[in-house]
Amino acid sequence: MTVSPMDPRLLVHAYVDGELDPAHALEMERQFASDPALAAERDRVEALRRAIREQLPAEAAPASLTRRIESSLGLRREAPRAASHPSWRALAASVVLAVFLASGATWFALRPDQADATADMIVASHVRALMAPQPFDIASSDRHTVKPWFNGRIADAPRVVDLADQGFPLVGGRVDVIGRAPVATLVYRHRQHLISLSAVPGGRTIAATPKEIGGYNLLSWSENGTAYSAVSDLAAPDLETFAKAFRAASAER
Amino acid sequence: MGSLSSEDDQARFRSVVLPHLAQAYALARWLTGDRADAEDVVQEACLRAFRGIGGFSGVNPRAWLLTIVRHAAYTWLGKNRSGSLLMVDDLEAVERKQASAGALSEQGPETPEAALIAKADAARLESAIAELPVPFRETLVLRDVQGLDYREIAEVTGVPIGTVMSRLARARGRLIARLGTEAPGGVS
Repeated sequence: MTVSPMDPRLLVHAYVDGELDPAHALEMERQFASDPALAAERDRVEALRRAIREQLPAEAAPASLTRRIESSLGLRREAPRAASHPSWRALAASVVLAVFLASGATWFALRPDQADATADMIVASHVRALMAPQPFDIASSDRHTVKPWFNGRIADAPRVVDLADQGFPLVGGRVDVIGRAPVATLVYRHRQHLISLSAVPGGRTIAATPKEIGGYNLLSWSENGTAYSAVSDLAAPDLETFAKAFRAASAER
Repeated sequence: MGSLSSEDDQARFRSVVLPHLAQAYALARWLTGDRADAEDVVQEACLRAFRGIGGFSGVNPRAWLLTIVRHAAYTWLGKNRSGSLLMVDDLEAVERKQASAGALSEQGPETPEAALIAKADAARLESAIAELPVPFRETLVLRDVQGLDYREIAEVTGVPIGTVMSRLARARGRLIARLGTEAPGGVS
């Protein structure tokens, strides 16, 4: 290592990146409380991360590049369907990356939730969807269109509510694969941010308070035997507002 | 090994490499600074990935592909922008010197307000990131644009996690100083 790993100026970054184990994270929070300069540094790093995330969104590779690679390698062309919907194998591959653990001991301790495969899969599905040309399989702000679309594809069609009045318009839905089961996922928008809301019948609440996984916030709750998990790059308080709005709206129906 | 690729290799390439093409392209673009050059780099990287697909372990395809893209980009930079690669060695030397002196004073006395940094627009961020030396730039891009964690960045860039941390801290420190002192919309 080129510098002392315990230098608090470096640990601020590891803290913001969610790379610290709970004990080190708590210790950092104590230091933030007693050291305004360190807390200001944390605020600057968070502001920078947020600015990059909002201003420099992921860009799709040009379609011509995919074609050029396929033809240069002599690959058979596939129907375009494959590009707009992640294949089971592609999804499985991205799950492998989400739970990937490097070998070799370091002074980092893993956050326990990093081992939570379901949480990782839900976040991975959201990331995969953001990388696809469309983050949903059906685009509609009309819940009466979205719900029937699920009926033909999923055993338990999810409860679909529109939250446009609360600032979270419905934009569509898609089917994710969590483990080996197809799962209904609703897609909502808040300003420029997308929220994926997966409904897993009989599932368990995997993140009762917001958890940061790979730069995304995850929040889950259970209702009538269905576990809902919302994932987004929204700030945790905004995601909690979304969860409250969804629970309030679905209670009315 | 036959001269014609097997159906298996083709299917494997599709499932392992193609889902991460956007990220491969993004890394190549940040390293070369040019869209057309990035396409050349990604095509070369895909050729290498296709040849090596049989030996891929199956673990973390994104990090595997990005490692290949980075190597292809470095080869390209060596041929076309040898100046930017010379800086890698210089930087490593500077980093070692600073480490032996025990100093982490990249940021100096500048302590801009977080609110000022939050206001940075896309153009200013792009140019500030593009001006970072390659080792800092790739570390920052892999973390803050592409969302890799520290272990994955260490794997892709072939350095220990401690080096990832110090490069990330320096990259962010430079961006914060730059974005915090320059007047919004101003040109330096």
